[in-house]
Amino acid sequence: MKTFVINLEKCNGCYACQLACKDETVGNQWLPYSEPQPKTGHFWLKMTEKVHGQVPKVRVEYRPEMCRHCEEAPCMEAAPEAVYCRPDGLVIVDPEKARGQRQLVDACPYGAIWWNDELEVPQKCTGCAHLVDEGKLPHCVDACPTDALLFGEEEELAAMVAQDQGAFAIDGTKPRVHYVNPFGLFISGEVWDPEADLIIEGATVTLEGPDGAVQTAATDGFGDFWFRHLDEGTYRMSIEADGFQGVQKTIELTESVNIGDFPLQKA
Amino acid sequence: MADKRSEGQPDVMDPFGIDVDSKRPKRPEGRGEARREAREGEAAAAQEGGRRTVYKSTGLNSFGIGANVAEVDVEDDRIVRVRPMQYDKEYPLEQLRPWTIKARGGEFHANLKTLLPPYAYAYKNRVYSKNRILYPYKRVDWDPKGERNPQNRGKSKYERISWDEAATLIADEITRVRDTYGLPSILIQGDGHGETKVIHASHGCNTRLMNLLGDDWTYQARQPDSWEGWYWGAKHMWGQEPLGQFDMGNLLLDIAENTDMLLFWGCDMETTTWGWQGQLPSRYCFWLTEIGVQQVYVCPDLNYGAAVHSDKWIPVLPNTDAALQCAIAYVWMTENLYDKEYVDAHSIGFDWLEYYILGKEDGQPKTPEWAAPICGVPSRQIKALAHQWAKRRTSIAHGNGGSYIRSAYSHEPARFEVCLMTMMGLGKPGRNIIKFIEWYMYGLASQQPAPCYSSNMIVGAAYHGWDFKGTKSSITKTLVPEAILGDYTWENPLTWEGYTVCSWPRENQFDTYQHPIIGAQGIHMIWTDTPCWTTCWNGGNSMIEALRSPKLECVVAQQPWMENDCLFADILLPINTKFEEEDIGQDNGAAPFGLIYHEAQAIKPLGESLSDYEAVGEVAKKLGVYDEYIGGKSVEEWVEVGFDCADKPDPITFDEFMEKGYYITPTMENWEDLPRGFGPFCEDPEANPLQSPSGKIEIYATGLAEHFPDDDERPPVPHFIPFGKRHQESLLCDRAKEFPFLIVSNHPRWRLHANMDDIPWIREIPTCKVKGPDGYMYEPLWINPKDAKPLGIESGDVVKIFNDRGWVLGGAWVTERIRPGVVYQDHGARLDPIEAGVSDRGGANNLIAPAKTTSQHAAGEVTSGFLVNVEKVDVFELAKQYPEAFNRPYDPAEGVDISSWIQEA
Repeated sequence: MKTFVINLEKCNGCYACQLACKDETVGNQWLPYSEPQPKTGHFWLKMTEKVHGQVPKVRVEYRPEMCRHCEEAPCMEAAPEAVYCRPDGLVIVDPEKARGQRQLVDACPYGAIWWNDELEVPQKCTGCAHLVDEGKLPHCVDACPTDALLFGEEEELAAMVAQDQGAFAIDGTKPRVHYVNPFGLFISGEVWDPEADLIIEGATVTLEGPDGAVQTAATDGFGDFWFRHLDEGTYRMSIEADGFQGVQKTIELTESVNIGDFPLQKA
Repeated sequence: MADKRSEGQPDVMDPFGIDVDSKRPKRPEGRGEARREAREGEAAAAQEGGRRTVYKSTGLNSFGIGANVAEVDVEDDRIVRVRPMQYDKEYPLEQLRPWTIKARGGEFHANLKTLLPPYAYAYKNRVYSKNRILYPYKRVDWDPKGERNPQNRGKSKYERISWDEAATLIADEITRVRDTYGLPSILIQGDGHGETKVIHASHGCNTRLMNLLGDDWTYQARQPDSWEGWYWGAKHMWGQEPLGQFDMGNLLLDIAENTDMLLFWGCDMETTTWGWQGQLPSRYCFWLTEIGVQQVYVCPDLNYGAAVHSDKWIPVLPNTDAALQCAIAYVWMTENLYDKEYVDAHSIGFDWLEYYILGKEDGQPKTPEWAAPICGVPSRQIKALAHQWAKRRTSIAHGNGGSYIRSAYSHEPARFEVCLMTMMGLGKPGRNIIKFIEWYMYGLASQQPAPCYSSNMIVGAAYHGWDFKGTKSSITKTLVPEAILGDYTWENPLTWEGYTVCSWPRENQFDTYQHPIIGAQGIHMIWTDTPCWTTCWNGGNSMIEALRSPKLECVVAQQPWMENDCLFADILLPINTKFEEEDIGQDNGAAPFGLIYHEAQAIKPLGESLSDYEAVGEVAKKLGVYDEYIGGKSVEEWVEVGFDCADKPDPITFDEFMEKGYYITPTMENWEDLPRGFGPFCEDPEANPLQSPSGKIEIYATGLAEHFPDDDERPPVPHFIPFGKRHQESLLCDRAKEFPFLIVSNHPRWRLHANMDDIPWIREIPTCKVKGPDGYMYEPLWINPKDAKPLGIESGDVVKIFNDRGWVLGGAWVTERIRPGVVYQDHGARLDPIEAGVSDRGGANNLIAPAKTTSQHAAGEVTSGFLVNVEKVDVFELAKQYPEAFNRPYDPAEGVDISSWIQEA
């Protein structure tokens, strides 16, 4: 079975995948798999982006969204006569049989099916089945310059697939597009000595998570600490440095946060 | 004035770095017939709807040096798709010898396919753009025999004429202007920002024709517009001909092995790299993270490199880097943290720097506490940076562009950087400077940070752009509006220092040039194949004023698309894209191997478009110099000339090359042993001197001291100069009360300069355009929430960005990606004048950049890090005020429709 793996920590946000998808399908008809994608407005592969944090602790999360080629595809259930799964696992909305079936757009919980007004047909990523038939890669995967997008046999990619913790999967769909290394949320800050006007390197920052798990970080040569890949929830943070009074703080984490700079008073 | 180029310099006007004329062989015998038959077969296949694949470089360096070669699938005279090129498709891996960089337990492998920039996949939209100029046009109210109505340039429309009429009109105007005023009164703009082609060169074919007419036409001399500070500043410390930048040979290896901290100073290695370099730098920086090289970004904006690679962001205020650098030097000097031995052996004049930094010159020690409020970085963070840098092996990375290196007095931060690197032992392992673009420039191994290949193949003998024979008359590009608008005569001329072409030697910066040259008159005609002056140079509104001057009797523009300066032309020539022509190309530094390729014609030319080479040829025919112009060869024969002149290590026949479509030279044996950055100078400065007068790093620049001893804007030793006689573009000067923001205007993320603003798929990307309440796609203006709130600005609002030079509009994006006190808008948005010369809807902010050059004796551009104010506007009110501008036919997917300018037949 074919599968996609999207390694999010390798995505540089260049949008080559989104553009390559349009290059392949806008103005090009790939029957029996797809009618042309409209010139604008559809995103069979849609890059998403989100800015995390506040100056100067800011990073951007990029994540390509596409049809998940679900093993238990809601679209297939909604229109079994029009949507089928190929033997290699790629899910296809038959452009002929699905004509007029606008309800398919709502059947997809991932929002990956688009309505083509002009042709009156629901459309989505075919995994570039027409290229796969020729032994080639989907165009988006071929275009990815950093190997963030991978495509191949499930067995070949098993090690990566195993890392998918289902961060972006909806229960009961069993997607064949796997996301690994999700960005999550971060807490970051800075620790310094106001008397000396110097940052403090090597301060110990302890973070107790909503599940009681504890992690620690040492401040770096800029006095910065970072906790990455966190889930939402209530965190208890404490900062300790030799010779200084410690600081405790409770953080209700809903978005990544620059928790600020902490001038520590002498003990 | 005569060409003052020094003897013995490389022919730096030639982008290939070789004397191409000497490489031009005699016409090859006997091989043409087979070629022609093969081509005819190919053309026939295309006609019959056959599927085929051609190679096209997609880099946009715009001269003859290609990059990012793609396979283009074509069917029925239509482009189907663009794919990465597979290097090992026709040659076995053993022959390619792909390199591997090994360091710190990790491995980084040469890519076996091209890592194309995203726009390559959207570029066919550019080919099929509604915005294409497909026929020759003439401005309706420009009558060469009667009223020329120069005041209506940018207002009135165009009517279709035939190629014969157009070529005749241009030839007649050239003849008339030459006979009336002399050849120096014709200004040729042929210098960049377009597609990369060789035989059909996008830029400078017109120089080739003009050279056949005489030796004193006026040449627009393009200055180092993306790395001004290095050229005007650092060059006086270390020479480093031709660019003034650093040696960066083999630094991918050195950084991986030895660098602990890499400072990306004003560098967006995810953006400026695309047009020239592709995406290898992106892979490399991900790998640096894996092997533990800390990546620190020093820039006002969280640029696209920082967004995904940064371990640390130090958001410095634009063009205050010099203050930050001074404070770092202060920490090192006062805490004895620098390499005194190295400084003594490798530099001269360090005591002058100490004198300034420690405050003995002006009573102000350049402490971190002094610098903090100026540069916006807390003093403790300045100290942390100084301490980390001193403790850990640190290299600096650049990408050109932005407010670090092309703002007012940009020579100062460049020079301070050289000072700081000297204090830390420039050239020692892990302590160098790298640039993530323009690799292998001029074919120099010292400019190739990736592993070198065994032969650097050059097809320059087939190049038809930029034919530099040293015409006697020139104007530095930054001063063109002033040259046209001012009342200059040869007895009372406009003067400046330096020929200013980006690769001219240091000494040339001391020579004075003038316009008009002795005995000549001012400019009366412009012929441009580079119609983006207004959107890419300094003070574009002044250029618009110049283009509407009655002194200009004829303005000719040739360009594939109706954009930017084209709006002010009298005659428009339709140019095609590279997909519509056959060519040959070379990759230089983007591929991990040496690479030449045949670019077969993909599709037939659209409309009546011709290539630049052919278009100029039409004029040459009317002037009776066509045979000389084309050198007696057909395009097919020129392909063979290009192939023949490339230095190929293994024998390969032309037929084999044409059959395979490309040829590769492998990785050099023992590439690891090549010098690393400034390694040789570091190890033995006497044996490996720099190209400075003393051979050492001149912290006190003896050349500047000799020639400009009283220049307080560029003194012999670098200074932090927030403002001065020439520029008041600092938050520290009075003008900041009225215009309280500094604007960062980077090389654009989603264009290459002014190219590609009309690609529908790219315009859908959220950071590319912001949809206004009127449905217009505005150029994004980044503003921090702390600044936006008091101004009542929210994301999606339309804002006016203004100063005393005019105003442009933008679509607000309230974001933490820009620090407070600073706004950000990329340069090069497609011109859409509201009131031409005053205001612009498209957001072409170069219009309101300072017209004045870098400093008194440095004729560079100042196009980022200048003062503006920002306010929210009601676009519906503006539309009432300017109905004509706001009611142009418009498609959000592509922008202003060409029918706004073209009169229906």
